[in-house]
Amino acid sequence: MSSNEVVVVTWGLGGEAFAGEVDDILTLGRAAAADAGGALNWLTLGPVSDRIAQTAGKYGVANIDHIEDAKLADFSADAIVAALAQYCEQRSPRVILLAQGFDVRLIAPRLAAKAGAGVVMNAAAIEVAGDGKLSVTASAYGGDTRAVYEIAAVHACVISVLANAVLPEVADAPTTPAVRDIAVDLAAVDERIQVLEKPKAEGPRLDAAEIIVSGGRGLGDAANYKLIEELAVALGGLPGASRPIVDDGWVDSSHQVGLTGTITRPGLYLAAGISGASQHMAGCSAAKTIVAINTDPDASIFRYARFGIVGDCLEILPELIRAAKA
Amino acid sequence: MRIVVCVKEVLDPDAVNNYALAGRLQIGDDGKSLTQTAIPRLMNGFDEQALEAALRIRDAGADCNITVVSAGPTPADILKHAAALGADEVVSIEADPAALDAHVIANLLAGYIRTSGGADLVLCGRQASDDDQGVVPALVGEVLDLPIVTIARSVESADAGWRVTRVTPDGDEVVAVKGGAVVTISNELGDPRYPTAASKIKARRVKPTVVAVSELGLSAADSEPRVAFTRQFVPTIQGNCEFISGDSPAELADRLIARLREDSVIQ
Repeated sequence: MSSNEVVVVTWGLGGEAFAGEVDDILTLGRAAAADAGGALNWLTLGPVSDRIAQTAGKYGVANIDHIEDAKLADFSADAIVAALAQYCEQRSPRVILLAQGFDVRLIAPRLAAKAGAGVVMNAAAIEVAGDGKLSVTASAYGGDTRAVYEIAAVHACVISVLANAVLPEVADAPTTPAVRDIAVDLAAVDERIQVLEKPKAEGPRLDAAEIIVSGGRGLGDAANYKLIEELAVALGGLPGASRPIVDDGWVDSSHQVGLTGTITRPGLYLAAGISGASQHMAGCSAAKTIVAINTDPDASIFRYARFGIVGDCLEILPELIRAAKA
Repeated sequence: MRIVVCVKEVLDPDAVNNYALAGRLQIGDDGKSLTQTAIPRLMNGFDEQALEAALRIRDAGADCNITVVSAGPTPADILKHAAALGADEVVSIEADPAALDAHVIANLLAGYIRTSGGADLVLCGRQASDDDQGVVPALVGEVLDLPIVTIARSVESADAGWRVTRVTPDGDEVVAVKGGAVVTISNELGDPRYPTAASKIKARRVKPTVVAVSELGLSAADSEPRVAFTRQFVPTIQGNCEFISGDSPAELADRLIARLREDSVIQ
């Protein structure tokens, strides 16, 4: 039987490289903890920096729990899952929140299995009812629908939260969290996955870009993708792509924006020749300003866009490149 | 060696998308099912790619038996499709859809794999295009105590184990595991093959092996769902788009750039 505690879990937060999603899930966690009548705790795998301590206080965290171990120094899924499972055994949290990302997609269900908990991914909202029943609203059908899942009070639940699901909101009254050192025994952990070749990160990452110029099927031909690249350079941004043109081989998958590609949150997302299907919008709807160029005035993308041009991107893009350089 | 590929039947995601884009996607009286009966059911795209990954391992010369298994309502069509593509055996685990969640489905699949002689490799699509949850493969891995390698674009037999290339946000990562593993396949693997006309005709006569839940030795706890799917709705996206007007592409472009500079969106 679980306590009413809600725990937000993070790892790999070094000094300046603070994951932006932390504020989101702390906000969601505080609301869930209030509903559940329990404490909001923050479990971090690694040292508690001043930045973590300050952020925790701002967002109303009761306790900062931290686990440090040599086996957690570099990313190891087996070590992280073992450490988190032991934490759950010690503290029996009701809700375990993680910010959805590449590694969390693996860690979340593995932890749920080890801890005997339920698991819901792609979560956008959480409610805890008076009887302890948990309702989690998650994205489905690539974003075309929302599915609501219920977890009875008797089960704990691991929840992976979509980026930008909520706007960060600091606590009415900041807290002074206690720091607790959590002991785990990882002696039996022997990471079974061996990395033979590390990824060769080529340049800046799409998920950190402030300006993205993205292209889709409306470009007509692989050769026209260079217009996207040129405009991206002219605006000081990075080029992106929809999944269909990646699948067709027009551009490398590292440029793919969408539900199964990169989730971006730039200041400007310019989409040329992209229809605006939910799977793609899942990767860019958090952009501050979306600009769309499409020949179809009824294209779905215009429902998300701040500015739109109805026209042929092959005619518009060269003019935009010229105007941007002016 | 034995490769087991886990597959799921889903509504054609492109068709669902088209209904959604037309604003015509509707939820039925049960508050959770999509009602458009015209939408075809087919094998989850990522699972088709998982089967393709298995076939490529065989093409590369591995002496392997490929079993394709699905849990839930008996989807004969997708299993026949798997047979036409080259699966040696196709299996359907009969289970009541109302009593399933990811945890139970994983126990059914793992229970089948364990009681049918185990597997050297379990291949799954990275997620199903209906619920997008993508948790069953990792749950299966945990039940079978196998390492789980996710988001792969290729899997090769190597060194008494597997060599997998994963698609990470920082580029491709190559990993190795010894012994058996669960690997999930992503769209970067590429297009799956089509069955030949001859193999499709032959597959019409294939009868999937039907396995009852009672044969799998599951405990009561294994069969109890933890997460109940209770409701589904179509969110409304309100538009607020300012359309740029102009008489020529040059004019449209100039006006857009000016507008974005005005609002300090670009320099």
